[in-house]
Amino acid sequence: MTELFTYLVSGIALGSSFALIGSGFVVVHRVTRVVNFAQGSIAVVGGMLSATLLDGLLPHGLAEPLAVVICGAVGLAVGFLALGRRGTPPLISLIVTLGVSMLISAAIIWLWGQDPVSPPGLDGSTTLLGVTVERQRLLVVGATVLAFTGLALFFSRSYVGKALTASASNPFAARMVGIDVRRMGLLAFALAGMLGGLAGVLVAPTNAVSFYSDLPLALSGFAAAVFGGLVSPLRTLVGGLGLGIAGQLTAGYLNGSYQTEAALLLMLVIMIARSSTFVHEEAK
Amino acid sequence: MLHIDDLVVRYGSAVAIDGLSLHLEAGEMVALVGPNGAGKSTLINTITGLVPPASGSVRCEGRVAQVPEGRQMFADMSVEDNLLLGGWSIRNRDLTEVFDLLPDLAGLRRRKAGRLSGGQQQMVAVGRALMARPDLLAIDELSLGLAPLVVAELAEHLRVLNRERGTAVLLVEQEVGLAFDVCARACVLEAGRVVASGPSASVAESDAVRRAYFGDLAADETKAEAVR
Amino acid sequence: MIRRIPPKGYLTALAGVAALIAPLVMNDLTFLMRMMLAAIVVTGLSLLMGYAGQASLGQGAFVAAGALTVALGTTRLGLPPLAVLLAAPLVAGAFALLVGPPLLRLRGHYLAFGTLALLLIVQTAMSAFDGLGGAFGISGIPPFGVGSSIFVGQLPYVYLALGCLAVVLVLTHRIVHSRFGRGVRAFAGSETAAESAGVPVMRSKVTIFAISGMYAGLAGALSAFFTPYVSSDSFPAVESFTYVIMAVVGGLGTVWGGVAGAVLVSALLQVLNTVSSQPGLPPTAGPIMQYATYGALLVLALLFMPRGVVSSLDGAFDRVAARRRAGEPA
Repeated sequence: MTELFTYLVSGIALGSSFALIGSGFVVVHRVTRVVNFAQGSIAVVGGMLSATLLDGLLPHGLAEPLAVVICGAVGLAVGFLALGRRGTPPLISLIVTLGVSMLISAAIIWLWGQDPVSPPGLDGSTTLLGVTVERQRLLVVGATVLAFTGLALFFSRSYVGKALTASASNPFAARMVGIDVRRMGLLAFALAGMLGGLAGVLVAPTNAVSFYSDLPLALSGFAAAVFGGLVSPLRTLVGGLGLGIAGQLTAGYLNGSYQTEAALLLMLVIMIARSSTFVHEEAK
Repeated sequence: MLHIDDLVVRYGSAVAIDGLSLHLEAGEMVALVGPNGAGKSTLINTITGLVPPASGSVRCEGRVAQVPEGRQMFADMSVEDNLLLGGWSIRNRDLTEVFDLLPDLAGLRRRKAGRLSGGQQQMVAVGRALMARPDLLAIDELSLGLAPLVVAELAEHLRVLNRERGTAVLLVEQEVGLAFDVCARACVLEAGRVVASGPSASVAESDAVRRAYFGDLAADETKAEAVR
Repeated sequence: MIRRIPPKGYLTALAGVAALIAPLVMNDLTFLMRMMLAAIVVTGLSLLMGYAGQASLGQGAFVAAGALTVALGTTRLGLPPLAVLLAAPLVAGAFALLVGPPLLRLRGHYLAFGTLALLLIVQTAMSAFDGLGGAFGISGIPPFGVGSSIFVGQLPYVYLALGCLAVVLVLTHRIVHSRFGRGVRAFAGSETAAESAGVPVMRSKVTIFAISGMYAGLAGALSAFFTPYVSSDSFPAVESFTYVIMAVVGGLGTVWGGVAGAVLVSALLQVLNTVSSQPGLPPTAGPIMQYATYGALLVLALLFMPRGVVSSLDGAFDRVAARRRAGEPA
């Protein structure tokens, strides 16, 4: 029974990072109709940055937020390249982000080498409901809940958040009322960068990241986003958690190496099953 | 207060507006009529800055807000949010004025804009434009797809707006009767140029309007006469 | 009136001659082989991306299908090499027909990720099931041959690949200029418009998808004979991304785009390889430069030369021809 609980907890923690990366996909896609392939790479950068900053430069609590902010800046740069000139079709932008993710991989190898990196997380464990849980896992879950709540509030309550949603909903009308849609797109990319960076910062202490982690992270994040139809942060959260838990359960009870593939298969199935809804959404 | 001089606007290689000049005084209500493809929507979009001119100038002493063709709602957002976003350019989040002018909107504020009827959406579109506290309201096809009663109600709102706030109105309309009814002055647009302009009553009778909407009947008649 | 041979004709002839001579002159035949196989795959990918407007980030899945057909057909089933070589594109094409319809219902980015997911699933299946190679892969693939004559050394394979590439190019040319091809080009612009014009959109998409799968399967089969070893590591995701890069650089939706892209990118990578193995550079220089180049190529090509090399050259030729025509006496 405690085994199941352990898998659940680690699944939720892992799934939270999928959900965060996925929400980054959602934010960007809602506003720009672009899928940002570099989300995974940004998460890796986040993890590695926090490792470097924690290594004697800054304490816990300062290093992580700084890493997240820097990732926001990276996201902004990706946005500049991906959005390109006016009228770049979204499919081209997707491939541009693929190219940018490779540039980021090159930078990662250059700055941190090819070996996996794992920053120190929160030490120790506490007891929750009579079971021992690592503090780091709790932090991940707590931070994710905060992030998603903040995101939901941002989109529904804040003026800028509404402007972002409007840019996604009807770009013509948004321009008409004076919203700078391109700037909103860049803001979305920056926001997604921060979400991805946060994912990396949270996941790296327990699952070391390296330059090749970006692909499985991006895929899992995308799978979570697909569950949310690429528009709903809340459903992305559910999707991400589900994928994380499913993956850990597969790893624990079946065979460890098929987590990503199980997630992918699930994603494919979901995408195809929901494909009629997509057609409707794309048409908007 | 709106000065358009020798405006030329292109869509790719096609010329949508071909040397158009138009002037509007503050508080005026001017109708813009003409056949499909005459460039009416392009003109509205250029005035509100959505489409850049190729040459010529558009100057407006005051703010312009657009009520676009087809309403263009933010469909999954609430009426209230639609209105709030209308005030984005001046960061106006005060809905009281708009609710005063269009009281029906207050009752609809929580509803999703995409779920409303055409007439209700058109009212939201007008309200959204008003949030920018414009000096000129540029309306593209007010009556498209709406029942006559609804249109009449909207037209009355426009008249009240013009009377009480002094808001100028530039009304692009297919419904010629409505246009001349609401606006004192009218211009006829054909192939990107103004071909007739003046008080609505006289423009209504003009050959230009007849030609634009009913084909070149006068010329046909003359030909028929010559044959006889 | 004397008909001038268009400059494109000269180039094609030149390319043909160069292709025939190159294998005799170059000493790194593996490089040449891989380049030609990539050209075959990318020609198909270019069709898919340029005409059907669909991006595939996992063409390697179909390369694997072709390679597995050869590997399993020869080692497990003992079939003659020629038979499996001809069967491979058919198997890959059938695979594409199987997964195509559901995947192609997903537009744009969904399809891109879907094909990538497909590739990873294929890789996993290959390493999980011993029947597909398991942990050690499939080795001992016999050399290619027809009847009693068997290929010896690398050179015959290179010419075989060249022949297949020629066939692929001719086929692609016929497809592009057929009524089918024109119909497909129509819906790359707007599906609803094409549909109302009577173009069977879904069926055309699936067909192009299957054709690109067949080309990839053919390349996979050839590579299975050439490196007589197939395993799940033979088709890394990066390689599928490289196909995309080659397609973009060469020019989407053109007959020669695959070849142009494959040649240019392969040459560039070879240069990088040499540069990064210079003494004095850190061992990580290689991967860094490789990734940086991939990334830069994609970003720069898409932003500044979105129609790719072939289309841009085509445009230049057309302008030259127009100027020449304008300069002719009336």
